[in-house]
Amino acid sequence: MTPTGCLAVVPALTHNTLVVAAGVAAVGCAAGVVGSLSLLRKRPLIGDAAAHSTLVGVATAFVLTGRRDLPTLLTGALVAAVAGLATLVLVRRFTRTRDDAATAIVIGVGFGLGIALLSGITARGLPGSAGLEQFLLGHTAALTARDAVVLGIVSVATVTVVLLGLKEATLVAFDADFAAATGWPVGLIDQALVTLVAVRVVVGLPAAGAVRVTALVVSPPVAARQWTDRVPTLLVLGGVFGLVAAVAGVAVSAVVPRMPTGPLVVLSAAAICIVSLVIAPRRGWLARRRQRIAFEPPRS
Amino acid sequence: MNMVLADWSIDGATAMHAWAIATAATVAAACALVGTLLVVRRMSLLGDAIGHAVLPGIAVAVLVGGRPGSPLVFAAAVATGLLTVWLTRLVRSAGGLADDAGTGVVFTTLFALGVVIVTAAASRVDIDPSCLLYGILELVPFDTVSIGGVEVPRGFVSAAIVLAVLAAAAIATWKLQVFTAFDADAARAAGVPVAAVTGGLLAATALATVAGFEVVGAVLVVAMLVVPAAAAELLVRRLHHMALVAMVLAIVGACLGYLAAWRWNASAAGMIAVVLGIEYAAAVVLAPDDGLVARGLGRLRYAWRVLCEDRLAAVWRAEEKGTAAAVPVSLVQRLAVGWLWLTGRFVGPAGRLALSPAGRREAEMVVRSHRLWEAWLGQHAQLPLDHLHPPAEWVEHHLGAAMRQRIEAEVGGIGDPHGSEIPPEA
Amino acid sequence: MPTPTRQSRLPGRLPQEADVADAGSSAPPVVEFHDVTVAYGGRPVLWNVDLTIAEPCLFGIIGPNGAGKSTLLKSALGLVPLVHGTARFWGRPLAEVRGRVGYVPQRETVDWDFPVSVTDVVLMGTYGRLGWFRRPGSRERSLARECLDRVGLIDVADRQIGRLSGGQQQRVFLARALAQEADVYFLDEPMAGVDARSQEQIFGVLAGLRSEGRLVVVVHHDLRTAAAWFDRVALIDMRLVATGPTAEVLTPDNLRRTYAGQVDLLQEIGQAVAARGRTP
Repeated sequence: MTPTGCLAVVPALTHNTLVVAAGVAAVGCAAGVVGSLSLLRKRPLIGDAAAHSTLVGVATAFVLTGRRDLPTLLTGALVAAVAGLATLVLVRRFTRTRDDAATAIVIGVGFGLGIALLSGITARGLPGSAGLEQFLLGHTAALTARDAVVLGIVSVATVTVVLLGLKEATLVAFDADFAAATGWPVGLIDQALVTLVAVRVVVGLPAAGAVRVTALVVSPPVAARQWTDRVPTLLVLGGVFGLVAAVAGVAVSAVVPRMPTGPLVVLSAAAICIVSLVIAPRRGWLARRRQRIAFEPPRS
Repeated sequence: MNMVLADWSIDGATAMHAWAIATAATVAAACALVGTLLVVRRMSLLGDAIGHAVLPGIAVAVLVGGRPGSPLVFAAAVATGLLTVWLTRLVRSAGGLADDAGTGVVFTTLFALGVVIVTAAASRVDIDPSCLLYGILELVPFDTVSIGGVEVPRGFVSAAIVLAVLAAAAIATWKLQVFTAFDADAARAAGVPVAAVTGGLLAATALATVAGFEVVGAVLVVAMLVVPAAAAELLVRRLHHMALVAMVLAIVGACLGYLAAWRWNASAAGMIAVVLGIEYAAAVVLAPDDGLVARGLGRLRYAWRVLCEDRLAAVWRAEEKGTAAAVPVSLVQRLAVGWLWLTGRFVGPAGRLALSPAGRREAEMVVRSHRLWEAWLGQHAQLPLDHLHPPAEWVEHHLGAAMRQRIEAEVGGIGDPHGSEIPPEA
Repeated sequence: MPTPTRQSRLPGRLPQEADVADAGSSAPPVVEFHDVTVAYGGRPVLWNVDLTIAEPCLFGIIGPNGAGKSTLLKSALGLVPLVHGTARFWGRPLAEVRGRVGYVPQRETVDWDFPVSVTDVVLMGTYGRLGWFRRPGSRERSLARECLDRVGLIDVADRQIGRLSGGQQQRVFLARALAQEADVYFLDEPMAGVDARSQEQIFGVLAGLRSEGRLVVVVHHDLRTAAAWFDRVALIDMRLVATGPTAEVLTPDNLRRTYAGQVDLLQEIGQAVAARGRTP
């Protein structure tokens, strides 16, 4: 993964930049793969609900343990993300509230609780609480080599799980009724997918922050969908686009002074997405327009 | 933070807090009004998208010289909000995407763009991105304009104007909004300008979001838009009641949230969202019709009624056959018998209970329902004779007098399929 | 139950063996609904259905819109919870015989823009047998090709499913069910929105399954074709109105009871049941 050769070419690429690049690339790649699955299941925004719930976990983990190393805080974030998604399921199950409103409630209230806890911690000046709000927007430059390794391992693990269960996930995403009728535990498979999304979001936190990690899960899969009609290709392209966006973002922020990495990664992903939406063969805007012109008689 | 509420006097600090609370409550009410329509039209996530996406608009407006909080910045933000909606539709139709995916792509991108602009121009623009996320309610009272000699916070003025505009628009177009929300196709067929109505709602959302954005920040606007409206939906059935209840919940949430934040020294915006969430949870539990408590009680009440009616019918049937009724075995059955005795439907000493006239009437109606239903099923559904009893055992508890007479007219006095007599209506 | 009799045969029908329901065999019936009641949100939509399909045949479930035909099918497959009653296959619960039960859902229930090819969809029929984590191999692939051939779609095997006509999409679903290699097939409105040629083709495949000794249960709404296609039918309108050999069941009286029936009464009682209260 380490493009050592680049070191000589671009002097701005320091050791730290490379570490960050490797970590963010792993995160971006895995986010694209998992995001493709949740796009197929037609739930692209469950990641957003998970992401906005994570702050509660970060704050709670810090208060409970008094530690602020990445694994501790991310474990807290994961618990909170899963709890947020579980709330979503409960609201759907036991109330008349519609799906979109339920998602918005989890996003708004989860984030509000997180902000309230973080602000309370900061106001009390607890030792070591200074940098916690970096999870809000991400603070890529603060990644250490150890953090990058953790992120890489978790990313590889999630991608492996996806590849292992691809057959089951595709079946449930395409036709849940048929899957249930043939004996597959649809609820269990859905829960596994939701957990994967939660893991993805949590791993993306240090790089992109709670607010923008959604972009990593949504944009690359949407871009990939424009280019292919097959699930395996979709996953590969989603992963590649996520990786390219991550690396491009890190590279630009290394070259241009004072540019934050997180937003640049998101913008790179968006650029790939926009280009794909316009020029992709058959599904792209240009291709559709050409088809329409070919079919419609010219208006006089 | 050892002040208590009683310590408040009319001094500068209190006035500051009062202005902040008033501003938050005004914004919350405006958001809840718009949110009601968003929730019933399944557009709840639009507020989320607009709340994030206005950042670049604000950043550019500030960059070209607009003062934060000025009408120019406000207008730029609203315009960006509408642009977001338009872009979402464009992405969706260009990519043939699901709604959520289009929204997700557009708002995350615009938000990132905003952060990049803000960071790039950090020397010239004084915007703190995290402030945009959770607002600066605490600072609202410090930025004032003079109105008739009174120093009024700028944020309160703009919030009040937005609320007034939205309320006026809502009153003027409410019927059209309701019709469109209920059935857009029928509304279009009836000549309602559905596109204009929806456009108006989107503009109102942008307006409310931007007003809320200044006070509680981007993400928490979602809470203000959606949570009170969703809670109100659980509490009342009519749309205009829902709007009013949502506004009340929002105002209460804003006040309590601010006080809680002040008490525990935390972010006011965050606490307001938390209080709104608690209100929603309370609605889930306590809602009169289908709250968890009401549902649980309804289930218990039904189980109790079934138990009592079954005991009455059992004694009646035993009398009919001339045998002794089965002795109640379980504790709840004995409790039911005790209750029936207390309420005068059983009479006599323990061990030799008999039906009172009232109890007999009730028992006869249960048995009548049972046998009528067996007769109906025997005639209208293809069921073997021995399968008629279990469904009747269930439906007997749900038939009223009018329905029994209807069924009797239909089965035409052929009697119970097992040959028993059907008791007459009381 | 009415005693089944030989029914009049229409010309051009395939020969059929399984018209006699109670031939005195002691084998348990293929499918047996026992007092099945299904409710959505507490409100019953299907009341006390007792239906036995003793032997393999082409079986039609007929009734008006909203009569609960699809619900009955789904209740057999465990897709909707039963308020009471049981559905059994060969006298055993569904969980024990899942592999022998095939299913063709309604075409509108899936997103046809989904990025899978025709072959991918047909392979899904083999997933139940494959179990967790195992991928389809060469045996499954050749089976999928066979099934596609049988429904006449071998030429479009690699196409994305959205680029097919409605009739072709329905046949993809049929091929997927064939790949399940089941003994009982449930089809939910397979003829809805399908052109006449595809209808004939689908019917041909179903008749073939019957002649192989499999039971085919079809939810159907078109009375004219029903009389020609099915050996036995059940008339459903929130309850079972009549069942038996087609010619005996499709009488004017039964049809009137099905299509202008007692639904408002059942709906009123259903509301009272959902509210745990009483009707007026």
